[in-house]
Amino acid sequence: MHTDARTLPNGTVLEGDLCIVGAGASGITIAREFANSPLKVLLLEGGGFEFEQQMQDLYRGENVGLPYFPLQAAALHYFGGTTNHWAGYCSTMEPIDLEKRDWVPHSGWPITRADLDPFYARAQPVLDLGPYKYDAADWKNNDPDRVPLLGDSRVVWTKMWQFSPPTRFGTKYRDEIVKSPNIHLYTHANVVEIEANEGLTAVRSARIRSFDGKEYHARARSFVLACHTIQNARLLLASNRQATTGLGNANDLVGRYFMEHFEMPSGELALADPQSTKTKLYELANLGGPPRGELALTAATQREHRILHGTANVEAGNYGDQVPSTFQFIDTVMMNKVREWQKGGRKGPHPIGIAAAALAPRDKGPPRFYHMMTRQEQAPNPDSRVTLSTEKDALGVPRAKLDWRVTELDKRSIRTFYQLLGREMGRTRTGRVQIRDWLLSDDKTWPAFISGGWHHMGTTRMHSDPRQGVVDANCRVHGLANLYIGGAAVFPTAGAVNPTLTLVALSLRLADHLKS
Amino acid sequence: MPLDRRRFLQLSALGVVSSFADLACDRDGRSAASADDKPQLLSLLGPDRVREIGSHYRAATPGENTPDALRAAISKSRGFHIPLLGHESFDDRIQDDFEKGRTVIVDGWVLSLTEARQAALFSLTPS
Repeated sequence: MHTDARTLPNGTVLEGDLCIVGAGASGITIAREFANSPLKVLLLEGGGFEFEQQMQDLYRGENVGLPYFPLQAAALHYFGGTTNHWAGYCSTMEPIDLEKRDWVPHSGWPITRADLDPFYARAQPVLDLGPYKYDAADWKNNDPDRVPLLGDSRVVWTKMWQFSPPTRFGTKYRDEIVKSPNIHLYTHANVVEIEANEGLTAVRSARIRSFDGKEYHARARSFVLACHTIQNARLLLASNRQATTGLGNANDLVGRYFMEHFEMPSGELALADPQSTKTKLYELANLGGPPRGELALTAATQREHRILHGTANVEAGNYGDQVPSTFQFIDTVMMNKVREWQKGGRKGPHPIGIAAAALAPRDKGPPRFYHMMTRQEQAPNPDSRVTLSTEKDALGVPRAKLDWRVTELDKRSIRTFYQLLGREMGRTRTGRVQIRDWLLSDDKTWPAFISGGWHHMGTTRMHSDPRQGVVDANCRVHGLANLYIGGAAVFPTAGAVNPTLTLVALSLRLADHLKS
Repeated sequence: MPLDRRRFLQLSALGVVSSFADLACDRDGRSAASADDKPQLLSLLGPDRVREIGSHYRAATPGENTPDALRAAISKSRGFHIPLLGHESFDDRIQDDFEKGRTVIVDGWVLSLTEARQAALFSLTPS
């Protein structure tokens, strides 16, 4: 069922068993798990079925730390959420990503990779991926040229990515949600406050406000906040009438540990023997195409050198001296082009693909040369955080203020990665690696083109100790019996992979927990 | 093509003759076109980049800024010597540098110390 909340009379009270705030990858995944069950699900989406500037503006905020995307461009605020413009990169966290690493402060999940495995397998079809296989050998596709570089190395291995078409949740799952008899989707239902009981031990209702001043309430036995990493934290912090520091924030952790993935050009590779060295496994044919590999360091090597986890993609050509920043070329102008492309029936190449092609490999050069782009986790940092701005949005909610910060370990890890990669390329006579200048300076300074992957993680991190995390191993907010968080906001560490597959897996796991 | 140790032994025997011929052709009393002056990097990066790398190395290592100093450093660091057949091949030496971590970063390139010195020596030869 679907109702546009703007048509509801002022003061309407919505009643359900489960209330999910936010209809993006996480919210829709959880709702689908309850389809055709006896439970009544309220799915509240702030936007409509299409992009609306007025709704998107609610995500506008301040950037006071390192250069970052305009917040209103970094996530989409309508049915389907940010899957409406994601690129579809999927891979799994490695076991080490979830472990406590003594050289990475605040690392360690209360669950293991083995706990995630069955949910990863279930997440694959949700995202229209292939079988749950991520070994290079599984994706040889009967092609003798699809083999890993440095196949016998104990230092470097090849991590595989699968590509979602990419699945647009707002398109693919709309009918299923709307036609489900027990899921009631309310669009244009912006939640402005989470209201707790008097003892602040459980959530009683979600307060919804429309642009014309009407207010409604949603009541349920359980609530899931699944409205994006930054917005989840903002909503908890802004729910401060009863708890002055915000709901679930007794230990001043909500909004802290905001994390991104560094996605930055970092090196070049010159092959010693381009004729016989096989690089086909690393080619990106097109988005939605066959799986491809990226070079990564083994867990043992990460431990030995006490560094973070990262990978490098390997693509023919080189950038030359002009290093592009995703912050610079995927701006609000670009996002408008994307929306026009979507409205026009998605005909022709994706606008971001066109821009990337124009910037990347300008000088193709001989096939001997390849450029390498880093994709690396950043160390959890309590000072990298989301707080509330003094400015309020059109619904009267304080806007988000992002202070993105990084650590010396982040940069040292990227540089060490390329040093070790260079040694392995030389040792095996495969080629030579050149590290970009920005990595060779000190560990504190970052170049103007510092870039992230539009991956927002960590503002309500998972930890079994309430003094170290906002949610427990079941994604339940510590101290609140019936409030859960869905999405990448619960990641304690970021791993080296795009977050969507993992956040969908965690959402399936949360749905199972809620059912039980 | 990578040079394995067996092939190195085969070619080294020929190398004795070859080096002798090089010396015989030298008018300045200097071993012209010796292996020291022809780093393997040439085939990967071309002469311009190798000269640039060599210049960077010499600038960062003032004690190795002359042909004699560089040849001495290369010679001193070369590995085992096989009577009648000569030293370990440069190819093997370079691989061993990478294996043992005897690497340097020059102009951003992660290089074996031996090949960095070869590049420096090459940068001192006329272009």
